[in-house]
Amino acid sequence: MQKVTKYKWQVSLTVVFVVLGIFLSLQYQAQNRIANDLTYERTENLIAMVRSLSEKRQELAFEIYDLNSKMSTLIENKNDEKKLIADIEAEAKKYDIVTGITAVKGRGLTVTFEKSMPILYIDIINIINELWAAGAEAIAVNDQRVTGSSSIFYVEDESSMFITVNNHKLDFPVIISAIGDPNNLEKGLTLPGGIIDNLALFKTFPQLSKSDSLTLPKISALPNYYFLYEYKAPPEITTPTPAITEKTVP
Amino acid sequence: MRKTWLVPVTIVCIFSGFFLAMQLKVMANNNTLVNPLSQKNTNLVMIIKDLEKEIKDQEDQIEKVRNTIDDMQKQDVTGNLQELQEQLKESKIAAGLTTVAGKGIIITVDDNIEGFKVNSQSDPNKSLIHYEHLLNIVSELKIGSAEAISINGLRLITSSEIRCVGNTILINTTRIAPPFEIRAIGSPKLLAEISLNGELEILKASNYPVSLKEQEEVIIPAYKGSLQFSYAKIDKGE
Repeated sequence: MQKVTKYKWQVSLTVVFVVLGIFLSLQYQAQNRIANDLTYERTENLIAMVRSLSEKRQELAFEIYDLNSKMSTLIENKNDEKKLIADIEAEAKKYDIVTGITAVKGRGLTVTFEKSMPILYIDIINIINELWAAGAEAIAVNDQRVTGSSSIFYVEDESSMFITVNNHKLDFPVIISAIGDPNNLEKGLTLPGGIIDNLALFKTFPQLSKSDSLTLPKISALPNYYFLYEYKAPPEITTPTPAITEKTVP
Repeated sequence: MRKTWLVPVTIVCIFSGFFLAMQLKVMANNNTLVNPLSQKNTNLVMIIKDLEKEIKDQEDQIEKVRNTIDDMQKQDVTGNLQELQEQLKESKIAAGLTTVAGKGIIITVDDNIEGFKVNSQSDPNKSLIHYEHLLNIVSELKIGSAEAISINGLRLITSSEIRCVGNTILINTTRIAPPFEIRAIGSPKLLAEISLNGELEILKASNYPVSLKEQEEVIIPAYKGSLQFSYAKIDKGE
């Protein structure tokens, strides 16, 4: 009788230690993974990051060049109104592509969904996001230009469901058009395990086609702002007593 | 009597100590990069950090030059020019190139570290915030007519993407780390209602730490990146 109880003691103690050991080591592993250190990423992911950062650096260098030459134009032609106007117009063109207030054309890729294909508004959001990531410069869905404030959602009536872009119902075929390097755009969508692979699981096979000349529609007007205003940095910022720095964005 | 149970306990202790030490050693090896793969990774990470620093400098420079140009344009205000400049300013605001403020909300979400500690055998991916979560939150804010949005200080413009490389989330190709702070200008009531009935509710239900506060003034910084278009041309024949 006594012997049996003694054995129970040891067995349970062993079990406790083993469990403790497992927990401790798992804990350690967990902490490491959650620390999210880049060295734990896969090498090919890191290479992809290097590549996109290099591209970004290149673009920023161009931008700096543009801005500097713009500044010297401003200085040199201080009194030449014609040149200044031309300069402003050139600058405005860039913003117009971003805001979507002018129609744009160029090479690109179209993604077409026929009526028979099951598709959700979230798929449209994902495809558009992937296209931006792949370097798209402008995107439209059917006759709706996609801008920073475009809402993509759905509405239901008694019989059917519609995806909406900018609160306009989309009719089939749904065509997403993106202007940019057609090959890069296609690659962005067709990566193994990417969005096209994902859609295939749901028996949705959109048709991708490259195009030499796409024309994307414009939005009818710039958005009205009811809450937003231009932020003016408070004057304290120039005074040399930054005792309490402004709580600007981190 | 006592000695008979002391021996096995000692053995167990030694064993567990041995295993723990081994485990730690394996981890330590990973950290000090004995295997060539991690060595390669360290090099890549160094390159990435260098690039990021360079990009940060470039962006600061861009911001500075843009501000200077802004000030210069404000100085000469006469007739035609003045009107043009006002239009330019409007499109600049719409494009996201100015720092803006207004009523809005601030959402924060973070990895579910606590939940992971409690149940460490679960898939760690289920405790992390992924880019899809952020993309969903942002899409909902747009449905709620948000007038400007930023994540961790990065302004979202038309062409901003939210994506991941491995477990790292990138916005405008810039790496961001948790906790994530999403700011939006717009009707605080509407934005809060939509978010709290959408992605945030789902995250909350999975025990992610989330918070949302409505605010009288939310400040959202200007986009600091480039605006280079090599494919899109203005179509004049409309």
